[in-house]
Amino acid sequence: MNQQDDIEIHGKQRVMYAIIALMALLYIARLYQLQLIYSDEYGRKSEENSIRTIPKEPVRGTIFDRTGALVVDNRPAFTVTLMPFEFDKRNTGYLSILLSVDPEFIHDRLKKGEAYSRFAPVKIKRDVDFRALSSIEENRERLPGVDYQVESKRYYTSHAFAAHILGYTKEISETQMKALGTDYAQGDVVGSSGLEAQYESTLRGQKGAEFSMVNARGQVIARVDRGKSDVPAVEGNDLVLTMDFGLQAFAESLMAGRRGAIVAVDPRDGGVLAMVSKPDYDLSLFSGVTPPELWRALNGDEAAPLFNRATLTRYPPGSTFKMLVAFAALESGTITPHWRVTCQGGFRFGRKVFKDLHVHGSVDLVTAIQKSCNVYFYQLMLKLGLDNWTKYGDRFGFGRLSGIDIYEENPGLLPSTAYMDRRYGKDGWTRGYLPNLGIGQGELGVTPLQMAQYAAVLANRGEYHQPHIVHAVASKSPRRVDTLSFQSRLIGAAPATWNVIREAMRRVVEETGGTGGQARVQGIQSAGKTGTAQNPHGPDHAWYVGFAPYDNPRIAIAVLVENAGFGGTAAAPIAGMCVERYLYGRLVRTDAPPAFRAPRQRPLAPQHAGIAP
Amino acid sequence: MSFRDLKERFDTPTALITLALLVIGIFSVYSATYDAKASETFQKQLLFVVIGLVALTGVALIPFRLLQLASYPAYFLSILLLVSVLILGRTVSGSTSWFTLGTLRLQPSEFAKITTVLALATFMSRSDVSLRTFRHLLIAAGIVLLPVVLIMMQPDTGTAIIYLGMFFPLLYWGGASRFTLVAVIAPAAAAVAALFGTTPFLVAVLVSGVLLYVTKEHRIVAAGMFSLTVLVGISVQFIYESLRHYQQKRIATFLDPNVDPLGAGYNILQSKVAIGSGGLIGKGYLHGTQTQLNFIPEQWTDFIFCVPGEEFGFLGAATVLFLFLALLWRGVSLGATIKNRYGSLVAIGITAILGTHTFVNIGMSLGLLPVVGVPLPFLSYGGSALLAAMMMVGLLMNLYAHRKEY
Repeated sequence: MNQQDDIEIHGKQRVMYAIIALMALLYIARLYQLQLIYSDEYGRKSEENSIRTIPKEPVRGTIFDRTGALVVDNRPAFTVTLMPFEFDKRNTGYLSILLSVDPEFIHDRLKKGEAYSRFAPVKIKRDVDFRALSSIEENRERLPGVDYQVESKRYYTSHAFAAHILGYTKEISETQMKALGTDYAQGDVVGSSGLEAQYESTLRGQKGAEFSMVNARGQVIARVDRGKSDVPAVEGNDLVLTMDFGLQAFAESLMAGRRGAIVAVDPRDGGVLAMVSKPDYDLSLFSGVTPPELWRALNGDEAAPLFNRATLTRYPPGSTFKMLVAFAALESGTITPHWRVTCQGGFRFGRKVFKDLHVHGSVDLVTAIQKSCNVYFYQLMLKLGLDNWTKYGDRFGFGRLSGIDIYEENPGLLPSTAYMDRRYGKDGWTRGYLPNLGIGQGELGVTPLQMAQYAAVLANRGEYHQPHIVHAVASKSPRRVDTLSFQSRLIGAAPATWNVIREAMRRVVEETGGTGGQARVQGIQSAGKTGTAQNPHGPDHAWYVGFAPYDNPRIAIAVLVENAGFGGTAAAPIAGMCVERYLYGRLVRTDAPPAFRAPRQRPLAPQHAGIAP
Repeated sequence: MSFRDLKERFDTPTALITLALLVIGIFSVYSATYDAKASETFQKQLLFVVIGLVALTGVALIPFRLLQLASYPAYFLSILLLVSVLILGRTVSGSTSWFTLGTLRLQPSEFAKITTVLALATFMSRSDVSLRTFRHLLIAAGIVLLPVVLIMMQPDTGTAIIYLGMFFPLLYWGGASRFTLVAVIAPAAAAVAALFGTTPFLVAVLVSGVLLYVTKEHRIVAAGMFSLTVLVGISVQFIYESLRHYQQKRIATFLDPNVDPLGAGYNILQSKVAIGSGGLIGKGYLHGTQTQLNFIPEQWTDFIFCVPGEEFGFLGAATVLFLFLALLWRGVSLGATIKNRYGSLVAIGITAILGTHTFVNIGMSLGLLPVVGVPLPFLSYGGSALLAAMMMVGLLMNLYAHRKEY
């Protein structure tokens, strides 16, 4: 090449350099724009915009009773959802009319949902009725972004309510969401009371997900990996209960119109057979969406239907506690069964007179229990002393949480010297407080569950089994049933001690002169004890604890009927009928009130006014 | 050959840049195909790198004169291959551009690019040839258009575009008049502008008109070229109708990526998301969510740039861009240094091919250009493309060694 060419070449070289440099500069600028200016936006897109995760709700586990009867099942329910980016906010008013919800509520939901993702459906209303659903379907064109999902709601197949035990599921609250963590999203259903809450992680299963690829408009354009990466939802595990829902329904019917509780346990393993708390409510009212009026009504009700009396009330046990005093006295060597007291219908201690209902004359321990002589136990208590009483009371589980596998429980109160010192000051209380504790009154507070456990320990001579409602968990894949294990401990005592106390309890029911004759069951020896807890606010509360059959106990029971007067007349027959129903499968007594013979039917449709009596 | 002699003849910067790009490419392909079943892809790529290194060395060592002599025969051989691939080749994803040789599948169009450069350079370096002569210009255009037509019949738009990207700089470098350059560009610009709508089309026509007028040598020829430009622009709509469906779709989706979210538009969006989400330093090697979830179809081929972009962020992407910039810089500088006109033209032609590949591919990944199936040299998976790219580097190194010879 010649010189002329050389000059030309150098000019062209510069032009080439310039073009290459300009292109590179343009591309660097573009990289800067994409990666440094808009990187947050693209980062977000890379997480949610290009892959849309459609959560797949797992089917919640069902619940079976001890007989294998399905008591809690699922039914499909339709949930109306909104896709925030598609929904035209001008339609809020119209939609609120269709769904009969507050427009503010839709607005609020949408805002919260949008904050999470514009491309994730927001659940607006669960369990929408068919009429609302069809009007949405008809107006699909007018309502872009409005859709519905098929979810499931609880369906209760049993005649029994068992409301406090089974518990309800509810749409998750923000507080729950924070506590439960990332597995939950707005609109998810979560167990909020009873077994549903306690066994939430077992019942719930695992959410699945479908991954779809979407364009910038959020339209689904394909499944990621043709669906191979999808995570299928894992069905929740089923619960198999220790409860007998036939007995439960029957026991509930016995308590209709009353306030109180029944707890029946299997003394052999601590499995709860029935647990009634009245008044209660129909869980099917909660299976879809809970109407706020209903919530307010239930919460505001003076009878506290949401309150599980079986595990939460704290009443003095009255005379039903006498076996414990006797047990403590015998085991501590304070007395022998032959120790006698002469009852003249009252007992003077210092300036105070402690009354008895009858004049029992000279009684020994067995007779004192059989006839429920208070004077005997006033004196025995003074002889025994508070520390011994507390020591044995604690062994039977009083003043402690039983560890039952439902959400709520009250430990009750078992006064001790330390407690009394704290409460009244070191010199603020005297032995004059003791006689009342000896007959199960005063500051002693127990739950019906503790009383049933107490009866169970007496029934099986010292074995304390942790009470529980769930017997086993059945998983579907792999198909297996895992029996849950619970703690047991032995309350050691001389055989004679058990014999004496059990014999006294047998006499309470089976012999003339016993206070618990109305708990008698034909053809089966029962044992028990009545009690009447003084109530400063109104009529006394009636108690009964017992077990049957006497020789080989299969049921231990505690019955509390609030403000019903004497345990022998108000509580004992209820216990007797429950035992009968459980051991015979039906009522065999001829004098049973006709209303108790057939279990009540569950209303077929939810009645929204309905707080069960 | 003394060490000093070797140092003088060995193009160390080009070798290092190529090596760096190859390493980045190997890691990128590994990441893009990082799952259980794709290790085969990665191993194949490694094999091609090894073969490529042998080819590179081989090409670099061919005696310079022999290269020049072999240019025409090599060109005709590749034309022959392009014809036979149309008859015998196997169809891969809609286009018949593959040749099966044993287990290796070769794509003659990749190699035809090189032989076309060699042929063009041979023709243009003849002392009796001037690009200011219309007849010679036509011959040069013919040399390029023959393989382009054959490749378009496969069809493979991307590779065809590369030929144009190589031809224009060669015309410029080879001494074509400004009018010729404008005349070549104007119809193409009008055609592209017409796809965007009437206003861009009118603007393109106006600008072309002005440029043609300013650079005109013959009024009639200028007027003819202007008419041609307008005609091309107007007829683009008709041509568009006659295009193959996937080509139409690619054009349409480039104009509006949302038109076909499952197709090419989707690729652009996903690619932008991948690169954009990389941020400054990226998500870390093998941690790019878009890359690892296989969101970007054919990522290991045409969208490989997303891997450094997403996993190493702006720093990674800019590094890759800088390496290419340096390679092209070396190429142009070599083209300007070489005493031999043939060698100079080959260097510019090769650089133009590499540059067009680079800018079209990365531009597509960045959403600046339409999706055309053009691999990124050294990085994209694909044996033929890699082999061709490495042979081109071999040529550059060969030329470097002989840069002082006439």
